[in-house]
Amino acid sequence: MAQSRFVTPTAPRVAGPLIDPQTLMAIRNLELRARVVVEGFWHGLHRSPYHGFSVEFTEYRQYSPGDDPRYLDWRLYARTDRFFIKKFEDETNLRCQLLVDNSRSMTYGSLGYTKAQYANTLAATLAYFLHQQGDAVGLMTFDEQIREYLPARHRTGHLRHLMLRLEQPAGGKATDLSAPLRRVVEVVKKRALMVLISDLLAPVETLEKNLGSLAACGHELLLFNIFDPTELNFNFDTPIMFHDIESGRDLFIDPATARKDYLNKLNAHIEAVRSVCRKLGVGYRDFATDRPLELALFDFLRERMQRGKGTVKFRRYA
Amino acid sequence: MSFLAPAFLLGALAVALPVVFHLIRRTSKEKMTFSSLMFLQPTLPRLTRRNRLENIFLLFLRCLVLCFLALGFARPFFQKPMVNDPQAAAGQKIVLLVDTSASMRRQNLWSLALAKAEEILRNTSPADQVAVFTFDQRARLLAGFDQWTAMNAGERAALTGKQLAGLKPGWASTHLGSALLTAAEFFADTDPQGRTASVRRIVLITDLQEGSRLDGLQGYDWPRGIEVSIEPVKAALPTNAGLQWVVDAEDSAQAADPGVRVRVLNASGSRREQFQIRWEGVTGAAPLDVYVPPGQSRIVPEPALSTNAAADRLTLTGDDDDFDNALYLVQPKPERVNVLFLGDDAENDPAQMLYYVKRAFQQTRRQVVGVVALSAKLPLAASDAAGVTFVIVTGSLPRAQLEIVKKMLHDGVTVLVVMRDAREGEALSELAGASISCSEAQASGYAMFGQIDFEDPLFAPFADPRFSDFTKIHFWKHRRLDTGQLSRARTVARFDNGDAALVEILADKGRLFVLASGWQPSDSQLALSSKFVPLLYSMLELSGGVRSKLAQYHVGDEVDLAPLKSAQPLIVRKPDGSEVRLAIGEARFVQTELPGIYTVTSQQPLARFAVNLDASESRTAPLPVEEFMRLGVPMKMQEVEVAKQADQKRRLHNAELENQQKLWRWLIVASLVVLLMETCLAGWLTRRATNEAAI
Repeated sequence: MAQSRFVTPTAPRVAGPLIDPQTLMAIRNLELRARVVVEGFWHGLHRSPYHGFSVEFTEYRQYSPGDDPRYLDWRLYARTDRFFIKKFEDETNLRCQLLVDNSRSMTYGSLGYTKAQYANTLAATLAYFLHQQGDAVGLMTFDEQIREYLPARHRTGHLRHLMLRLEQPAGGKATDLSAPLRRVVEVVKKRALMVLISDLLAPVETLEKNLGSLAACGHELLLFNIFDPTELNFNFDTPIMFHDIESGRDLFIDPATARKDYLNKLNAHIEAVRSVCRKLGVGYRDFATDRPLELALFDFLRERMQRGKGTVKFRRYA
Repeated sequence: MSFLAPAFLLGALAVALPVVFHLIRRTSKEKMTFSSLMFLQPTLPRLTRRNRLENIFLLFLRCLVLCFLALGFARPFFQKPMVNDPQAAAGQKIVLLVDTSASMRRQNLWSLALAKAEEILRNTSPADQVAVFTFDQRARLLAGFDQWTAMNAGERAALTGKQLAGLKPGWASTHLGSALLTAAEFFADTDPQGRTASVRRIVLITDLQEGSRLDGLQGYDWPRGIEVSIEPVKAALPTNAGLQWVVDAEDSAQAADPGVRVRVLNASGSRREQFQIRWEGVTGAAPLDVYVPPGQSRIVPEPALSTNAAADRLTLTGDDDDFDNALYLVQPKPERVNVLFLGDDAENDPAQMLYYVKRAFQQTRRQVVGVVALSAKLPLAASDAAGVTFVIVTGSLPRAQLEIVKKMLHDGVTVLVVMRDAREGEALSELAGASISCSEAQASGYAMFGQIDFEDPLFAPFADPRFSDFTKIHFWKHRRLDTGQLSRARTVARFDNGDAALVEILADKGRLFVLASGWQPSDSQLALSSKFVPLLYSMLELSGGVRSKLAQYHVGDEVDLAPLKSAQPLIVRKPDGSEVRLAIGEARFVQTELPGIYTVTSQQPLARFAVNLDASESRTAPLPVEEFMRLGVPMKMQEVEVAKQADQKRRLHNAELENQQKLWRWLIVASLVVLLMETCLAGWLTRRATNEAAI
């Protein structure tokens, strides 16, 4: 098999070993899968995910020049003789809406699990992670229309509901992003972080239009483009009749002759999507389903960090 | 070489198919599911190195094995000629019946029939015997078995064909049934036991028209061993219509209307429906349009003709075949018949006899009967007697008149004496030339006809049981006649008491009828009965007053010229201009072979009669062959069945040959040898490949 050129160039420097997705997918329970990923991630990134979170990160920050002196904690200064900035407790939580593609093309997978399973696990991982941080997480699954919708909330049992919805099998038809994204604009009124997880096997023009309207509504957008490694490499060796999952069309293909043309078109498509995202200020990550999910979480966080919005939360200083 | 099961040879083709397909393309039926084909284009199959054949010799050997197997299963054998059936060698007797009726004049039917006949003659074997008949109204022998046998075997077909080619269809109608029976009888006559030939065939070459008469076939006991095969000839154009004269009843009430009505008959299966009738040779006469659907007929009046114009030929146009499109007409003129009534009866008195006589004789198409009533007491002039054919005497005649009547009687005039009174016996004796006693019969109730000679021409029309009941005619009074002394007297009818009712006395040329009672109501109910008028007309006919007219005949009919009463030899001019002279006293003319107007030129004025085609010849729609089967004609087995039998025989012969030769065994051995070679070669190739790989 040819090596994919879409492997993320900057491998994260995490301390622990990454979990192989195939091993991960062997776990039947989605929530458990998400927990394994998230806890493994914390384990690699920090000594303990529960230590220091509230003390150093959540409660206080050392004063740096340029900060508003009104937020200095004078009592702490009296005790320690150091300047700390005290954050308010009533800070606004992040509202994150996960948009998961459940179209028929997502049911393809060459590694023993489908793209849809991978996407659901990714969504579950993000949801679990955000929920752990106290953020409100919502879910929307779609194919050519919206199938499941859970508004972003943070309450007891919400995560459980979300996991149950994610465990529903993908049974959609063709990927048509237009209708679901238009619907999202109508449904999600409050500004939120929209994480779109899809293979994006759809015309780029419609994607540009709909992402543009989402961005115009003030939503922050992050896009995970999921691929099966076979889709990226097209490493078939014998001429064979190809059956399109989405359209049901049959086509006789000799991979030896078709590979080059296929890869060119795929690259052009990905580049077009990437270009649209750049233009609209949408974060974009392409993902092969053989990549460990921790890296996806890492990318998510890094994307957030690059945008200068803290790790995971919007913070408003009083 | 032939094969018993050639279908197995297709198995050899199956060997080539995988090789060919392998060379052409490698298309996989396997399917691979993929997420999206939006980035893919279909690719054409291409030849790769793997498509090329390797180890061609090995492949050849394997193919050879399969070919040998296929060949073996096909059961090959070497063909040998079949031994002829000894029974068939005996030859067959064939009677060829060729239709020469008028309907064969259509289009090119005759040439087709000749071609068929020649083909049949050509296909005969030297052992066969052939007799040729032509038929229309009657069958005629053209060449018998003896003539056929007498001819040189190589020339039989050609000479007989030449004889046929010299013939042409005539104008007569088709009597197919009688022709078939003639042919069957011919077999019976020439070979009563049917020993000399195994097969006796009647081959019928005809247009098989609907109008062919099949009379006589029903219930005919066909001799054994005869089979009839029909070789129909078919006209290219199915449309045919014909003309026929509609003959009105002789006593038709339309006597005053001299017009002619014609029937236009359209054959079923025709494609045309619109026709026109016109008088031939008349200018300015408008044609008459007639619409006749296929299979139907229409009766129409003749087209209008100006008063002075004379025409004797109607023509039908708009038809494909014109052989039956002309209708010749000779319209008879009603003849004047004079009846002399001698008596004192008042014309308008229903109690008198003349009243009924006047009303009995009506004008008809054929004759106008004029009844001249003269008083018995008035002198009878010789001019009154001129042209009279029938005399009715109802009263006592003076001597002078009796003489005149007697003379008329001896000259051939029929005289009816009605005994109104016993006193008239004397006059009757005078007329009869012998003494006839007459007395009034005793009146006791009524008398009626008790004994009638229905064989007498006078009563012949009443011979049918439906009309022979005379018991409702009551005679209140009658006279008793004694004709014992008259040898020439014959009592035609008697009363129930044994008295003579009607006596016929033959004079020199004439005929004297004596009726022992009158028909006026005071004497009897005879005038009021339905028998009265026919009885009078019978007498009129016997007197020669009603003559059968020369008018319309069909081709082949016999024409009786006796009514012309010519003492000279008769000369008849036919439509083609030729004249036929009949012998003195001969009055039967039989040479009506052509349709047209025939003229008896020896008569003045010229007597004419028309001869037309039989109307049944116009019914040219094809007759279903099943009709023959229905009538019990022993039809020859269908050609298909014969072919099937021959095929079955040939197959048996082939199976026998194959069983004797058993070539398939050698082929199986050959395939085993080749298989052995293939195994050796394959083993050697495998070992070599293994060795090379090891190196």
